[in-house]
Amino acid sequence: MFKKILIANRGEIAIRIIRSAQELGIKTVAVYEETDKTAMHIIKSDEAVCIGAGPRKDYLNIDRIVQAAKKSGAEAVHPGYGFLAENPLFPKKCSEAGLVFIGPPMSVIDDMGSKVIARRIMEQAGIPVIPGHPPLPPGAEGEQQARAFAEQHGFPIMVKAVAGGGGRGIRMADSLGNLMKCLNMARSEARTAFGDDAIYLEKALQRPRHVEVQIVADGYGNVIHLGTRNCSIQRRHQKMIEIAPANLAPDLIERLCRDAVAAARAARYVNLGTVEFLLDETDRYYFLEVNTRIQVEHTVTEMITGLDLVREQIRIAAGDPLSVGQDQVQLRGVAIELRINAEDPKNGFAGSPGLVQIYQSPGGHGIRLDGAVYQGYEIPQFYDSMVVKLTVYGFNWNEAVDRLRRALDGFNIIGIKTTIPYYKEIVSDPDFIEQRFDTSYVDSHQHLLNYREEAPELERIARLLAEINARGRNPYAEPFAAG
Amino acid sequence: MNASDRITPQLAAAAILERLRTGPGYFLTNNERDVSQSDFKGRIMPATSLKAAPERDDTGYFAVEISGGASIHVDLLYKQIDPFERLRLLRRAMPNTLLQTVCRGRNLFGYRPYPDNVLRFAVELFARYVDVWRIYDFLNHVPNLKVVGEAVQQAGKLLIPSLCFSTGPDHTDAFYVSKAAEIVDAFGEDIILGIKNHSGVGSPRRIRDLVRALKTVFPRLILAYHGHNTDGNDLARMVAAVEEGVKIVEVADHGYGGMYSQAPALSLIQTLHDYGYQSPGLKIRPLVEASDLLRRERRHYQQFETPFRGFDPTVKRHKLTGGAASITFEQAEKLNLLERSHEVFSELVEVNREMGNIWSVTPGSQILWTTALNNVIHGRYENPSDDLKRLLLGRYGPFPFREPQQWIYEKVLQHRRTDGKKWYQILTDEGGWKELPDEDLPNRRGELATRLGRPPTDEQLCLYLQFPRDALDYFRFQEKFGKTWLLPPEIWFRRGGFEDGQRITFADEDGKTHHIDVISTHRKGNQVETSLLVDYHFQTYSTPVEPKDACRP
Repeated sequence: MFKKILIANRGEIAIRIIRSAQELGIKTVAVYEETDKTAMHIIKSDEAVCIGAGPRKDYLNIDRIVQAAKKSGAEAVHPGYGFLAENPLFPKKCSEAGLVFIGPPMSVIDDMGSKVIARRIMEQAGIPVIPGHPPLPPGAEGEQQARAFAEQHGFPIMVKAVAGGGGRGIRMADSLGNLMKCLNMARSEARTAFGDDAIYLEKALQRPRHVEVQIVADGYGNVIHLGTRNCSIQRRHQKMIEIAPANLAPDLIERLCRDAVAAARAARYVNLGTVEFLLDETDRYYFLEVNTRIQVEHTVTEMITGLDLVREQIRIAAGDPLSVGQDQVQLRGVAIELRINAEDPKNGFAGSPGLVQIYQSPGGHGIRLDGAVYQGYEIPQFYDSMVVKLTVYGFNWNEAVDRLRRALDGFNIIGIKTTIPYYKEIVSDPDFIEQRFDTSYVDSHQHLLNYREEAPELERIARLLAEINARGRNPYAEPFAAG
Repeated sequence: MNASDRITPQLAAAAILERLRTGPGYFLTNNERDVSQSDFKGRIMPATSLKAAPERDDTGYFAVEISGGASIHVDLLYKQIDPFERLRLLRRAMPNTLLQTVCRGRNLFGYRPYPDNVLRFAVELFARYVDVWRIYDFLNHVPNLKVVGEAVQQAGKLLIPSLCFSTGPDHTDAFYVSKAAEIVDAFGEDIILGIKNHSGVGSPRRIRDLVRALKTVFPRLILAYHGHNTDGNDLARMVAAVEEGVKIVEVADHGYGGMYSQAPALSLIQTLHDYGYQSPGLKIRPLVEASDLLRRERRHYQQFETPFRGFDPTVKRHKLTGGAASITFEQAEKLNLLERSHEVFSELVEVNREMGNIWSVTPGSQILWTTALNNVIHGRYENPSDDLKRLLLGRYGPFPFREPQQWIYEKVLQHRRTDGKKWYQILTDEGGWKELPDEDLPNRRGELATRLGRPPTDEQLCLYLQFPRDALDYFRFQEKFGKTWLLPPEIWFRRGGFEDGQRITFADEDGKTHHIDVISTHRKGNQVETSLLVDYHFQTYSTPVEPKDACRP
């Protein structure tokens, strides 16, 4: 086993990785940018290296991170999610520097990172894929092909960037005119965002559900699945609420999991990954993509399996075989995870960075928190807005929802706006409680944004006391001082 | 008699009337609202009322008056509590006692007439909490009671249409009997007829005669007496009233009031006991305990007590209503006229004589007082208020006995007229009691929604219709500061800022205790930074202040 690893990430996932490493007796090295020097992952790690002035660019700088790893004596690097996690150059550079990359081999990341190659591999493995069109040639020829595809499969159609992922680089067209416009915009966006303007088409499903299967594979050809997750509640293709397991018929779950394992085998997968599917209204499913990283929502799988997925990742990277066989994986209960972000849902979920004046969190049975902030921490404007990931476990769905409601009520966060009041509306929404949701949920439940924002009662009273104190009298109690 | 003889809100209005009509003894109404208004400028805070509520509820009063009069407006202006919220809280704290309000007829809880649909809307909403409705008109113009009285009856609540009482050559038994007949014509006999001795005038014999005259003509009618102890003689008047068959009399806790408000309950109980009268279901122990508690609480309201302590037998001449006393003194103080108040009082006597010896009760008392004040400051009728003009125009109703002299009409009605109209033309063209067009309620609701930024509740709309500006200010306060009525009065009225290290403790609605510790106060330019430990969480608040405003350098 490694003695020291470097974590090429920040925020809650860096802390999550540190925890597993500590349990394995591995020392951890954090990296940070100057603009992130008060972040909590630095406090939690054994060592920390400043990799640059930031913001953001140094967390994406492979050379600096590899250099930091070498200098600190780390043997392996964990990329977390986001930043460099799915950049195939990162494992390549690590390997060149004699560092173990805790994740899939470069070739897998490369293949799965290309939507087109991934589709081809899946098709060959007999896994259903959404009707699609290979990358379009530029100009009129591409437009012609797009028109033909539309005639064959009908609208809506998604225009996707070949190099995109994680919900980025996607445009939806619902008419021919719209499609032509999307082609141009998608191309220029893809060029700017990914440095590659290749785009392709895919038939869009109406109100699909997003269901994914967690898989894990070792270097000895063992591949197992750890059940499903339903991540349908999304906003602009970004997941907000994730549930394990997906509430589907047992035979359907079995087929999904079997196909996911087949997909992993076809991709020669090693380490932890997620095979994502879309389900249409008739429960027909299609391969969406493979995520070659630990995912934000891995906690729900951990809750219902009892496994530590990061520990598993590190062990596999260190050359150990899987610690469990498929037969030993038992799913029990229901877990729900919410991403509590420093955002103002009422203002288009705009980021709400700032000083966390008060941070109180819930606890008790079945509640897990993966946080990244502390009371007194100033959330910087440069990074993602995650405050804490709340994962609850319940013996069944209803118990999990009840616990989720209780847990949300247990937060007291003052100083920043968070998504908590919005989530409180969701957990009381009959459609959510009855598990009637698909990827259109957020858009079709706009009324859930109409919650009232109120400072806690005591805080408001305290504000008045400050006023009575400052003015030497209560201006709201005396006629001559009113106003 | 035992506690089961009590009248409680669980009984239907008809059953209560039956018990009053045929049952033995007399009943007491604790008029907390009037004590607050008469002796404390209306400032008794909800926290104090709630503290006294369990003992008062246990006492076995016929009712406790905790709403109406000026209280609705004062709730919004100086207590920053929703009057409906206050009713809800007190209803919960006093589940066994009828809650009473006093309503100025067509002038509702304000100072001018409201349209009929506003009156009905308000009664419907307040009647959800208020069991007993004392209603009156300051000119004893019974049509002004009609809409509110009927709405109360429709809501199935107890109605006490009241005769405003005063003394003088015109204030004969025959006059009041004729007014009572108008009331009976309007509302039938399933009412409680009130005698409203708001100034606290007349001898016990005068009251005895009046009650006897009313009882002779209306033997079935249940009578209630509301008086003020301004001259120190209301106990004797109440004894006389009860001896003549009045069923309900209004009193105060002896730990409270003692000036322009009601006479102490216990003194009356002890006296009437000796006369052979009992109050069914009444308990003495909680009554005494409520006063013990209120005596301790009273010191927090010291700054609102009237500058003139003790009794005022000269009320016989100036007739200033008890309910207006503390507030008018406050006004005189602000105008630096307190030292000249004897002049104002002499002028008040004169003005009332000129108005035909009407009843000095809201809004009439305000009109008379303001006129007297203006006359002293600016010269007689040189600066008449708009409300005085309305009174002379007959907007509130006709003068009951005689109209003012022509020169007064001329000065008041022609004041600041630019059209050159003579007073008699003005009177012909604009005078008289007017029907008011109904308010466009959906439109007003929309207007309030725009101002609030969300749809208002019915209760919010009701308050807004009555006091547009002050209600809106309150809603904004409430949004910003929340349930500040939880604070004890000594904090709410605190002057001079807080000491570092001071701990402010209070319970929330659910009975849970909270602490706010004052850590420090720093002045930075025009900002005062107050650091507090709010339930053990450190918070700093910055308050912009005017240099003259700041409590400390």
